[in-house]
Amino acid sequence: MDIRAPVKALTSLVCFLLMIVALSLAGGVALAQETGSSGEQGEEAGFDEAEAISIDRMIMCPVCPAETIDQAQVEIARQMRQMVREMLSRGETRDEILDFFAGNYGPDILAAPPKSGFNLLAWILPGVAVVVLLGAGLLVIRSMTVRGVTAREAEPALAAIGAQDDLPTYDLTPYLEAVDRDLGLDIGPLEGPAGQSTTGQGVSSEEPSEEGLSRDV
Amino acid sequence: MSDLGAISLWIALALACYAIAGSVLGKLRVAPPLVESSRRAVYLVALALLVATLSLVASFITNDFEVAYVAHHSDLAMPARFTWVAFYAGNEGSMLYIAFALAAVSALVVWRPQASLRDTMPYTTAILMVVVAFFVAVMGFMANPFEKLPFVPLDGDGINPLLTHLGMFLHPPALMAGLVFAAVPFAFALGSLIGGKTGDEWVDAGRIWGLVAWALLATGLLLGSWWAYTILGWGGFWFWDPVENAALMPWLGLTAFIHSIMVQKRRGMFRMWNILLINVAFGLALYGMFMNRGGPVPSVHSFGASSLGWTFLLFLGVGVIVPLIVFFWRYPLIKSVQRLDSMISREAAFLINNLLLLAVAFVTLWGSVYPLISRLFTGDEITVARPFYDQVNGPLFLGLLFLMGVGPLLPWRRATLAGVGKALLWPGSFAVVVMAVLLLLGMREPYAILAFGLGALVAGGIFIEWFRGARSRHRSMGESYPLAWLRLVAANRPRYGGYIVHLAVVMVALGIVGTTFFGTQRDVVLAPGESFTIEDYELRYLGTVERPLGNRTEFVSTVEVYRDGKQLKTLNPQRDFYPSFNMAATRAAIRSTPVEDLYVVPSENLADGKVGFRILVNPLIWWMWVAGPVLVLGTLVALWPQASPARARARAPVASEVPAGSRASPVG
Repeated sequence: MDIRAPVKALTSLVCFLLMIVALSLAGGVALAQETGSSGEQGEEAGFDEAEAISIDRMIMCPVCPAETIDQAQVEIARQMRQMVREMLSRGETRDEILDFFAGNYGPDILAAPPKSGFNLLAWILPGVAVVVLLGAGLLVIRSMTVRGVTAREAEPALAAIGAQDDLPTYDLTPYLEAVDRDLGLDIGPLEGPAGQSTTGQGVSSEEPSEEGLSRDV
Repeated sequence: MSDLGAISLWIALALACYAIAGSVLGKLRVAPPLVESSRRAVYLVALALLVATLSLVASFITNDFEVAYVAHHSDLAMPARFTWVAFYAGNEGSMLYIAFALAAVSALVVWRPQASLRDTMPYTTAILMVVVAFFVAVMGFMANPFEKLPFVPLDGDGINPLLTHLGMFLHPPALMAGLVFAAVPFAFALGSLIGGKTGDEWVDAGRIWGLVAWALLATGLLLGSWWAYTILGWGGFWFWDPVENAALMPWLGLTAFIHSIMVQKRRGMFRMWNILLINVAFGLALYGMFMNRGGPVPSVHSFGASSLGWTFLLFLGVGVIVPLIVFFWRYPLIKSVQRLDSMISREAAFLINNLLLLAVAFVTLWGSVYPLISRLFTGDEITVARPFYDQVNGPLFLGLLFLMGVGPLLPWRRATLAGVGKALLWPGSFAVVVMAVLLLLGMREPYAILAFGLGALVAGGIFIEWFRGARSRHRSMGESYPLAWLRLVAANRPRYGGYIVHLAVVMVALGIVGTTFFGTQRDVVLAPGESFTIEDYELRYLGTVERPLGNRTEFVSTVEVYRDGKQLKTLNPQRDFYPSFNMAATRAAIRSTPVEDLYVVPSENLADGKVGFRILVNPLIWWMWVAGPVLVLGTLVALWPQASPARARARAPVASEVPAGSRASPVG
């Protein structure tokens, strides 16, 4: 235990830092795009092109199936995109523009239902459903959870399907336990008492063949 | 040739009906010969459908335009290799493909069932054959691919130009196979249930075939996105189109299933839940096929509007209601051995994961039906498209990403809070550091920061576990780190194959977050010689060459790309006009790197060589396409049978001295 521990800590640290660098790099790369993108082109025309595009994506193309004017490549979509930009440079807001199009073409020109009136239902129901589902899930989990004595009663059934555990050792090295026990579970039932040593169990699956090899050599 | 095909369709239908009746009757009356002959009928169904398939292929290759389907989906100018695509370009051919794929898989399934399933196999066979018979009957009575025209046209209509793309060689077959293969785990589950075997007998087979269907669907979805990205010409890859949704929902259902089936496999729990779940997944798959082939909604996928919708809807109803009836009939028999030990356990995490996945599927379904509801109650026509799904499903996907990071770190059965804290320490702090770094760099999108952080949590957890596992092998066995890692993965394939798939999902998430939050898009009109600057790229448009060909006119533009004064690449985006379809197909030119894609597509060709271009810079999307192969690899690892004794012997012949029993492990 002289040099092992510092080396171990150091390797962990290096790997950790490498991963941080890698992921931050990925994020940073994306970031570079963001900072560069804000309204470089539209600025002189008096509007933000990014805002214009995001409005395009909220308006359906009236003549093409299931495409927004941002996607559609037909003349009318082109004209509508132009119109969005003109309205933006006149200082109109996103809501005013969307209202204008909805007024002219009917509410189904909007790519998503407005968050008002009856259409609130479209937006609220998913949230309600998620809450209800998760709530029901938690209740089910609660009702399925055995407590105290009942846990011990379940033990024989556990053994029957080959699951084993050693809860006491859990608190010491819960993490490696999870790894090793998982490995152990696959080979466990046929290999004597499981979970004597955290590392030994994980590799024991290879031992017989290695022994065979070394005996031959 | 086409007559042979038409006849084999009817033969297939008759044989399938025989197999259904024979296996059920043979089972009920305890007549093994009848059951056996029904089993063999399944092989013949596959054979008959193979003949039909080959006969349609032959009609395409010999340009037999008397066959209406061939005349509508090909012409003399079509190269023979596109027969592959033309085959499923319309409803009739797709149906033949689906029926043949399922029949072939059914033959494989009934060939050598595992011992524990042999008893209920007749029911499984019957269920599979009902599905096959449905498709064959629809072909026979409503959409016959071998129907003849009253005259023989000189030339066909040609193939839809949007389909002449590499992605189309794989996307539709993978997707359709994925949808229809969901019938296999469903048939195992329902067959066991009918046969009164309500335990874990079907779990291994169900898991394997569930994974196969799942991976095919995932591949199909990714390939479809790739196709849309390169050819539809608007620079995106997914827009929550009704048909896309219909393919995504069964994938979500199967995702939930392949997770929760592991709980039953390992812990004997969730028996009812798994049967319900595979019913739901199969129902959603039927819905997917209904949306895809029935064509009830406007979508880029509606290649052939048809009247098949109601037939599919009817079958969908039967496919959902009958299993439910069986389920309640057998309800008293289904009981889990196990109870949950703790609310903090992997089982519980799996359950939450299932519920979130179903929630996403539900929201997606809700979005698809809401326009109908609105029309019914208020009379208003309402569109539900991408902005809705982005806003509603986005947070749910983040929740799933979180569970993907935390779930695998939880042990089975139960954990203490302190234990969870310890397990989460490194991955969690890794995630926090990543988020902090991004914040410091100036990123201000809360969603994006959170998504990157959660991606870091998932990836961190996986790499740390791999590192520790490999290190423990390295220390105790003296294996080198790469070998130790390989053996670690090989020792628990379901788990570590799943990890590889999780990494692929993180890669997909990188692509989605990168393009959604940090993409740049510009529409410009350029005259030859003009330049345009986007981000740090300078694009110089040189000119467009017009090439008239037999069935189309190609407009190939040349755009040089510079960065910091150095030329990076010459791009040739292309726009082909097809007079007979009165439509244009675009080929985007993409300079793709792991950092970002530069994407150039001509959206209109104007006079004097002027071209309207759409130019995008899409960060990180490269990762999304690379995720496809990684995902397939991970699934293969997870599926690879754990036949360690045989393999060990193959590796080191001497090891046979060791009693095989000492290494035998439960299947999977």
